[in-house]
Amino acid sequence: MDLQPIHPEPTSFVKKYLFSTDHKVIAKQFLWTGMIFLFIGGVLAMWIRWQWGFPNQPVPAILGGALLSDSDGIIGPATYASVFTQHGLIMIFFAITPALIGCFGNFCIPLMIGARDMAFPKLNMLSYWTFLLSCILVLASFFPDMGGAAAGWTTYPPLSTNVGTPGWGQTLMVMAIFVTGSATIMGSINYVTTVIRLRAPGMTYMRMPGTVWGLWLTAILNVLFVPVLAGGAVLLLLDRLFGTEFFMAGASGNGDPILFQHLFWIFGHPEVYILILPAWGIMTDLMSFFSRKPAYWFKGSVYAMIGVTILSAVVYGHHMFLTGMSPLLGHTFMLLTLIISVPAEMLFLNWLHTMWHGSIRLTVPMLFALGSVFVFGLGGLTGIYLGTISTDIYLHDTMFVVGHFHFTMAAATFLGTFAAIYHWYPKMFGRKMNVTAGKVHFWGSVVFITLVFGGQMLVGYAGQQRRLWDPYQYTFLEHLADLNLWTSYAAFALGIFQVPFVVNFIGSMIRGPKAEANPWELGTLEWTLPSPPPNYNFAEMPKVYRGPHEYNNPEVKRVLGKDWIGQSELMPGEQEPVESSQQEAGSDREAE
Amino acid sequence: MNSRILRWTSFVTVLLCGLFVGVGLAFAEVQPESGFGLPRDVSLEGWRIDWLLQVTTLFVGLLFFIMCVWMVYACVVHNEDHEAVYDHGDAKHAVVVALTLSCVIFFVVDGNLFYNSVVDVEEAFWNFERAESHPEAIRIEVNSRQWAWEGRYAGADGEFGTPYAQSPDDVVVLNHFRVPVGVPVILELASVDVIHSFYLPNFRAKIDVMPGMINKLWFQATETGDFDIGCAQHCGTHHYKMKGMLSVLPRDEYDAWHRMASQRAERTHDPIDKHAQWGWAWRKDR
Amino acid sequence: MAVTMPIDPIQSEPNRAAILHSEQIHTRTTSSVGMIIFLGSWAVMFASLFFGYGMHRTASVSWPPPGFEPLPLLVPGINTLLIILSSVFLHVAGQQFRQGNGRLSNRWLSGTILLGAVFLALQLSVWTALWQSGMTLRSGGFASYFYLLTVFHALHVIVGLGLLGWVGLMQRRVSAEIKQPVRLGLATMFWHFVGVAWVLTYTFVYVL
Repeated sequence: MDLQPIHPEPTSFVKKYLFSTDHKVIAKQFLWTGMIFLFIGGVLAMWIRWQWGFPNQPVPAILGGALLSDSDGIIGPATYASVFTQHGLIMIFFAITPALIGCFGNFCIPLMIGARDMAFPKLNMLSYWTFLLSCILVLASFFPDMGGAAAGWTTYPPLSTNVGTPGWGQTLMVMAIFVTGSATIMGSINYVTTVIRLRAPGMTYMRMPGTVWGLWLTAILNVLFVPVLAGGAVLLLLDRLFGTEFFMAGASGNGDPILFQHLFWIFGHPEVYILILPAWGIMTDLMSFFSRKPAYWFKGSVYAMIGVTILSAVVYGHHMFLTGMSPLLGHTFMLLTLIISVPAEMLFLNWLHTMWHGSIRLTVPMLFALGSVFVFGLGGLTGIYLGTISTDIYLHDTMFVVGHFHFTMAAATFLGTFAAIYHWYPKMFGRKMNVTAGKVHFWGSVVFITLVFGGQMLVGYAGQQRRLWDPYQYTFLEHLADLNLWTSYAAFALGIFQVPFVVNFIGSMIRGPKAEANPWELGTLEWTLPSPPPNYNFAEMPKVYRGPHEYNNPEVKRVLGKDWIGQSELMPGEQEPVESSQQEAGSDREAE
Repeated sequence: MNSRILRWTSFVTVLLCGLFVGVGLAFAEVQPESGFGLPRDVSLEGWRIDWLLQVTTLFVGLLFFIMCVWMVYACVVHNEDHEAVYDHGDAKHAVVVALTLSCVIFFVVDGNLFYNSVVDVEEAFWNFERAESHPEAIRIEVNSRQWAWEGRYAGADGEFGTPYAQSPDDVVVLNHFRVPVGVPVILELASVDVIHSFYLPNFRAKIDVMPGMINKLWFQATETGDFDIGCAQHCGTHHYKMKGMLSVLPRDEYDAWHRMASQRAERTHDPIDKHAQWGWAWRKDR
Repeated sequence: MAVTMPIDPIQSEPNRAAILHSEQIHTRTTSSVGMIIFLGSWAVMFASLFFGYGMHRTASVSWPPPGFEPLPLLVPGINTLLIILSSVFLHVAGQQFRQGNGRLSNRWLSGTILLGAVFLALQLSVWTALWQSGMTLRSGGFASYFYLLTVFHALHVIVGLGLLGWVGLMQRRVSAEIKQPVRLGLATMFWHFVGVAWVLTYTFVYVL
């Protein structure tokens, strides 16, 4: 008797590709949408860099200047404020979240835990279409006459109230954030429940791959903290639309702008862990897979990720060090912020140990995983400057902060996303991507990422504030024009080096060589299925006997002659362990 | 592609990146308005921040360097031809080593930073009693608006009269603040509209200015000269232009200016000027 | 329990009951986990709104702030009793359902819905009275938070009533076998949550 019955495959185009409840189709929907917004967010970034490299020059048509025809291609100060606001919001909510969490959460979780689909497939479909609604709202927010959202991604009131930023642009953007938050919560309810309830027999929590752990902990954080953002968004919308006084302050009322900062950062700090945890989990796995040895102290890595999850909400005050808080509160947040660096550091040590004395295969996914480790190391270490109040007094709201979060949040998560795409592409699309194009994409990305975000950190160290349309108004910043120019060139190069990826991604889908079931020789459950898997995933529910990182086990090498063994593969002569048949993933025990 | 060439290329590239970062950091030494180093520090206590920045860079740079060498070495030497060692890393002694290493790094690096920051904040940056108790401290009320800084000095009577109608001798300035060298300058800051942030790069000082609240900042100049005042919190379209100037003057020049400005203020005082109706009684004990 | 399975699970009649029972428990547990997480999210959102309310209140010189009358206690107090009673009715409905008395269960369910509707009507009367006396959304922080918390709660009551109504309608269908206990259980959890949220709102916004 099966508790995950096999449903007949849908036949109509609409049910197969549009309104599908199949987690693999929904994953691809999220991926395509996320990549489109990655492109839009990227163009916005290019505009920011253009303004700093070539202040007040018209943007060439090829970089999208045609869209600025009202001002003859020049990015004015008000437009600039919109550009950096939308860049941040789009990259976080509409690019990384769908591409990493929406796509790989949906694709990997059921396959890697041995389930046929998510716990709530219809809710899953609803989560994508709700997300798409939020995308429409975001695009709509670009067009109103008074301009798009322009209060920074942080949307601090009173600037984000209709006294500070009047018009529908900002309102539509806040609505879009609310709707996308709802979609995220829907999806996360699914991820959390699926991992708890639908693990295959023998798939204990510690036998789950790091990828699933990262995505699961992310979903838990989403469920707990996106509602706080939703609360803040509701209060702001009520102020904008109905004249309430939650945040209207100063001359406009008795509201409390600091309340918004509390709500925003109680969400906002966990959000950065939401974005990085899936990448951490994927990196933990890929480092093991392509070093052909077990993930070093995997339990420790899992505990580290859990530790970060738990601590993530109590460190948020470090975003508010300079709001006039009491020194005692400041020291407390500083201590907690420094403590949260310890699990991250442990994770790092485990990755380094995993590689050491491995038999490293520098495949494209491995290169991206290594690149992600590299940029995360750089970014994470620079967080220490900002977590210390004394140095934060100088560095707060400078480009140093921007460099820090771009290294950790943008570079590490995007390199992690690319690693995931190159890694699971054969399983998703049934074809293999071109290796040379992948390596060109990798080297171009890592080198220019380091140069662009390193350049940001250097100007920040020199004191350049964030969000300046024209930094050179200030005497103490005039000499940075050259550095900003070269950073802009590096940014343009980074953009250009994404072209091989796009060509590779689409081209391989059409003309790539067909992929076999297990091209990377890995033991996790998805590689036991054909590429791509049938709509029901597993014909027979798998039984799991071991963890996902059994590589170069001497016994396996001796008996089976290969350096890997599948999670559901039994060695010849190995008895099916009695416990594995009773280690139900929490599903049927009550039925007995 | 030949994997040997690839490996050595990657080694050289990483080495070059490391050199680039190292050279960049070397240039980031304190250099007055050249290279891309810190801005010139003319404050009494700013050295604390500069020192901590450099110590942090040392620690961080060392850890980063070790990480890079480790990774490149592993990729080059422990390559596909190398035999992997089957080790789950969960043996007791391995766990103890990992935890000990983490703790050592935490206490040495983070502990150092934590301790020094607490001392810095308590002794200097947020120690307003120290500034307030100085007999010659200068006090300025700052009103931030989109997109300018207004300042108000108590007049010759030494009192911030409120309301404006009763304080004809208070000196009101726009964007150009004058202070004497060698004494604490204490600012109380308010905003009429959105959140701003008062930033003195050459004094390593910064504080957010929130509407509905009054925040405090203090600094002491060690040299005379003209220095930038910046806004460090996005406050709208002309945030980039919200620049002020801080002129640090020798004591006698400052006194002369203040006297003259106060007299001029009294002469030109207009009690029905509603735009000048800002100010508050100085909050000494915050 | 081994779960190798052929494509068509139901092989024989005697197995059918065991299979359906098992499926039911599995589905119910899974849906319950989902609902608990869902309610957890809503609880956090309510908590964040209360957090704002708390911040506003501690920053206020007096409560109610100058210019505002204290909130009425009687009608909202009646509402508190009504909503607690409605949860009791729903609990009885659940008991009756488990004992196999579908019709009786549905009557108690209808009682719950009726009480919920009266709750909403009384809320509306309180709001109307306050609005007409001059306390609108634009009146300041006190009014903003009051309307925010009570209207937000009322929206959840409406959703809860919709869920309960749907459960009542589904009771008449033959296919209710597997899914009805799940539906009733989920709607019950939601309704109790709404009740608890009201008790907290009444306590912290009206009484204290």
